[in-house]
Amino acid sequence: MERLGEFEQLVLLAVMRLTDGAYGVPIQQEIEERAGRRVTVGALYATLDRLEGKRLLESWFADPTPQRGGRSKRYFRLTAAGESALAESKAAYDRMWRGVRLKGGSRA
Amino acid sequence: MPEPPAIAERLVRWLVGGRDADAVAGDLRETYHARGGSALWYWGQALSCAAVRFSGHRRVLPGLGQDFTHALRSIRRNPGYALTAMLCLALALGVNTTLFALLDSLYFRRLPVHDAGRLLLIQRTTTPFCSWREYLEFRDRLRTLRAASTVMFSGEAHVGPRTYGVVAECVSGNFGAVLQPGISAGRWFASDTEDAVVLSYGFWKSKLNGDPGVLGREILLERARLRVIGVGSSTFRGAFPPFASDLWVPTGALPSHGPSGPPVGVIARLAPGSTRQSADAEIRLLDAGLRADPGSARANDPAILQPIRGLLWRRGRRVLQPVVSLMSLLCAAVLLIACVNVANLLLSRAAVRERELAIRTALGASRWRLFRARLAESLVIAAGAAVLGVVAGEAAGRALQAAVPSIPEEGFRGLAFGIDARTALFLFAASPLSAFFFTAASGGRGHARRRRVYSVVQVTLSLTLLVGTGLLLRAMQHVERADPGFAQERRLAIHLYGPPAALRMALDRARSLPGVQDATLASSLLGPDSGGCAALSAAAPVRRTERNTVEPNYFAMMRVPILRGAGFTGAPGVLVNETMARASWPGDDPLGKPLWIGCDAAQRTVAPVVGVVRDTTWALDPVTEPAYYLPLDEGGGDRPVSLIVRTAGEPYEWSRPLIEALAMVSPDLRVYDAESIADAMRLAFWETRWRAALLGSLGALAILLAAIGLYGVVSCSVAQRTREIGVRMAIGAQPVDVQWMFLAEALRLTAIGVAAGLVLSAATVRLLRGFLYGLSPFAPAAFVGASLAWVLIAMLASWWPARRATRVDPLTALKYD
Repeated sequence: MERLGEFEQLVLLAVMRLTDGAYGVPIQQEIEERAGRRVTVGALYATLDRLEGKRLLESWFADPTPQRGGRSKRYFRLTAAGESALAESKAAYDRMWRGVRLKGGSRA
Repeated sequence: MPEPPAIAERLVRWLVGGRDADAVAGDLRETYHARGGSALWYWGQALSCAAVRFSGHRRVLPGLGQDFTHALRSIRRNPGYALTAMLCLALALGVNTTLFALLDSLYFRRLPVHDAGRLLLIQRTTTPFCSWREYLEFRDRLRTLRAASTVMFSGEAHVGPRTYGVVAECVSGNFGAVLQPGISAGRWFASDTEDAVVLSYGFWKSKLNGDPGVLGREILLERARLRVIGVGSSTFRGAFPPFASDLWVPTGALPSHGPSGPPVGVIARLAPGSTRQSADAEIRLLDAGLRADPGSARANDPAILQPIRGLLWRRGRRVLQPVVSLMSLLCAAVLLIACVNVANLLLSRAAVRERELAIRTALGASRWRLFRARLAESLVIAAGAAVLGVVAGEAAGRALQAAVPSIPEEGFRGLAFGIDARTALFLFAASPLSAFFFTAASGGRGHARRRRVYSVVQVTLSLTLLVGTGLLLRAMQHVERADPGFAQERRLAIHLYGPPAALRMALDRARSLPGVQDATLASSLLGPDSGGCAALSAAAPVRRTERNTVEPNYFAMMRVPILRGAGFTGAPGVLVNETMARASWPGDDPLGKPLWIGCDAAQRTVAPVVGVVRDTTWALDPVTEPAYYLPLDEGGGDRPVSLIVRTAGEPYEWSRPLIEALAMVSPDLRVYDAESIADAMRLAFWETRWRAALLGSLGALAILLAAIGLYGVVSCSVAQRTREIGVRMAIGAQPVDVQWMFLAEALRLTAIGVAAGLVLSAATVRLLRGFLYGLSPFAPAAFVGASLAWVLIAMLASWWPARRATRVDPLTALKYD
């Protein structure tokens, strides 16, 4: 099972949340809004490529739109392997968090 | 809506590449508008796309795999042209690889020992050898260097019931410790006096079949019983590459070597912590002390240190150098012809692929991309050619190896050609380079005309080679028929080495044998040899001359007439040849005039000229050099001497009895092999024969390649003009007319090529002047012969495709697109 880095997990989660409409721009926005991370397009696509190379994502090209000046979009979707990798990462974190109490009150 | 900065967008596309470039650029554009159009932001994002470029999962050159798959597919569809191209290139590469191996072993290769950079040869400017006494001084007194000695000799080794002729090295006991050549079984010598022998890996593998129980076996060499104590490592073949030794023996085990033996080569290793400079300084100091000795002959001949690279045997280098230079030129020419051939083949493919290229260009492929596609195909061909080239190179190496026994120089017998790591590296570097060259040569427009030009170039080059070969063959014939000036029939020569007393005993013994009509001694078998110096007066400049030291009856026995004066009578005297008499005392009678003989001003002798003899030609020189003759006692020295006998019958009938008789004469006498003078003469021409053979085979290869090229051009022409043929035949042309159409084209190209080739030959044959022994390089026979030969070849090469043209069915041809 692949070990996922932190940013890779964020990207996979974003793709999962977006279900049908996961291409570059909304993925970037999702991460920026929810996780509060600034993402450059280069870092994003490098990660997307890497995840696709590990077969955790699959992609396809869709129709161009006028807002993009006639350029096509590349959509992403999680594969089954990607889902199980995410689940495994979450389970690992859960196990680590169980019973941990942080000063300042928040509790797992 | 404001447009994002165009240059930044270009950068994004270039960095990302491929289809994703569109997607990324589109994403950026969307976000750009959403963010209100900040150019700075856009540039930041554009630069971050470099992460995409260098991420591990993206190929740096997109589409490279595609190029190669496409190339492989295209080759599979048309294997014929690819195979022809590979074959042509492989032949040329194989030949060049063998040449590289030769050059490498002549000039660059280090010894295959541990830390070879710290090995040095101690030698003098006039000779690579030192006397045994000098070696002992070096061994005992040098601190920065550890010195070992080695000298090559040949002999017969008896292993069990079998006898082998071997090339061996007689080495000092510390040879293994100094050179550190490694060992594959057993050990090296521990002392000078062990009765032991170390076999070479090659000898053990080939002659003893890799016998695992070889250690401890007994070998008889020069009447010494030696035990095998080790087998050398697989890469080490001796201290003087490319000569290969079969075995190593310590000096103490062979009585004819060591203090009373021939001069030795001294190899030294820098002691740990010493530098080259400190070693140089120490040698200079020590050697100055040695040379200050009154008995030393080396007053003007300091010892120097030389790193061991390539061929150390200076004479061998000098002998091979001109041949090698010539070969290099030729191999380059052959490679050029082969590349042109391949370019031609690619061009003919390009003609067929024009439509495909046009579509690709229309779809947006850049010139670079198209070049890359063609380069991929060439690289596949070059890779195939490299693999085949290894085979071709091995074959060429083996062929050279098989021809080596025809060289009389003993050391060359151990020469080993073959493909090793460095030459293979050269091969695999040369093939992509040539791929690049012929891809570039086959691009662009104007295919048909370019093909014709290339074909003409091939004819030109191969014609030049053919002319050169003809000239060399002519020179070879001339030299072999020339009269050397001394008698050759029924003369047998045996090479001896020993002190003058032993030589005299050998002479008497030989004369007493039945079947020997007369015998004499000479230091140089085939006429005077280099190494002498003479001056006309004490103050006159010393000039290098040739010399021979002979027994007084040499002239009578070898039928070299004494033209004036008398021979040696026991009184001091020197004989000179006609050339020297003419040059040194022009118009005057040389008899009675004094001559100062000797190269070393401090150690000269004076002798009166007592006679003038007829010139003999050392048949390889068109010009006779001045030479003098001295009686054997005075001139002697430490050189081998030839005992020449006149036999009653066939010379070789007497070689065995003679050798056996001479071996009994004295323990100080070393007896080498016997050969008839006729054979020695023939062997002396090995240089000419080799040159002619090399040039001839390369020339033949070049012609083969060029003929293939011509065949290709005509074939393509036929294919391209199929419709035209159909029309002509439909109108009423006879098959003969169609055939003639193409033959005429081939002849036209050949004619231009031959004309250009004649011009090129005229310009370059002067390079061969050094090899032609006085014959003029502008021999019409060679030029005319080569031209006619090429015309014939051209007709043959184009006959087949021309014939195919007549088989064209007019109906199908007219429908041909």
